[in-house]
Amino acid sequence: MAVAQITQPSRRPMPGSLRFLLETAAVTAVAVVIALLFNALRPAGLELIARTPYQILVPCPEPGGPVQIVQPDESWVLSARTFLVDARSPREFNLQHLPRAVNLPYDWLEPVPEDDILELAQSIAGSGANRVAVYGEGGRPDSGEHLGKEISGRGIKNVFFISGGAPAVLGSEEQ
Amino acid sequence: MTVTRLAAWLAVPARWYLAGVFVGACLHKIADPRSFALDIATYDILPLALINLIAITLPWIELGTGGMLFAGWRVRTASFLVAVMMAVFMLALLIALTRGLDMSCGCFASQGAEEEDPISSLTVLRDLVWFGLALFVFAFDRGRLGLDRWLQRRSA
Repeated sequence: MAVAQITQPSRRPMPGSLRFLLETAAVTAVAVVIALLFNALRPAGLELIARTPYQILVPCPEPGGPVQIVQPDESWVLSARTFLVDARSPREFNLQHLPRAVNLPYDWLEPVPEDDILELAQSIAGSGANRVAVYGEGGRPDSGEHLGKEISGRGIKNVFFISGGAPAVLGSEEQ
Repeated sequence: MTVTRLAAWLAVPARWYLAGVFVGACLHKIADPRSFALDIATYDILPLALINLIAITLPWIELGTGGMLFAGWRVRTASFLVAVMMAVFMLALLIALTRGLDMSCGCFASQGAEEEDPISSLTVLRDLVWFGLALFVFAFDRGRLGLDRWLQRRSA
């Protein structure tokens, strides 16, 4: 007597690579769900889609050169052999500045115009100074330090940045 | 001791190190997703619609993979995810460097933080080393000192 053999349809094992990819997707999905839940529950959660663009301020690469830091009470800072550059705005410069200082306002967004650099170089050469000392408004970051790096990178030699900026240097001059 | 056995043992400190890197990297991002979103936006690669979503979810993927690597659970999956993330991070860094952006990496601290981490070719090299470590763990880890092996023994 013939016996009909009933065979169960065999379940083929899942290929290893597919299983691996599913596992990777599952781990990612679980992490994403936890992240979204945590964000939804926290008081200062972030909106899922930003509506307004982020205000990004990334400084453009600037041709920075070497600048040495000098303290405002250094004896040679106010000597005739030091060419002084004030990096603050014309308004701040007009209110008070060091004698013989020239005003070259530092613009945080734009490089110093080439004409201004040439004029500065000529003035330094004509003054007989052997050092250039730059001071800014004394903030953090300080416009004086940035201007010093910029003019140094664009060919002016022996540039110093006066630490503490205008408040320090004008204070030490009064003393 | 064969080379494979040695590599399997070396994969243990490698995965623990990677776990430390990833858990360390995700903490500030989870604590302050807004700053991390700004970090992502600074790279200027992703569209605005994706920035917050990535800022919210990516640190948790980092935390999850870091935890898995530390525990030795599903190590191949975790190390694969780490390698993919490292590849994406390197690509982002290379794009930013090519554009000449003078910015902080945002990897371990946000832009403007005291301990800034400015991007450079060294940052890419560092990520390349971590990418290589992730591949090493993926290829050679055999679950030593990890949950995978412990679970395997229990079920045997």
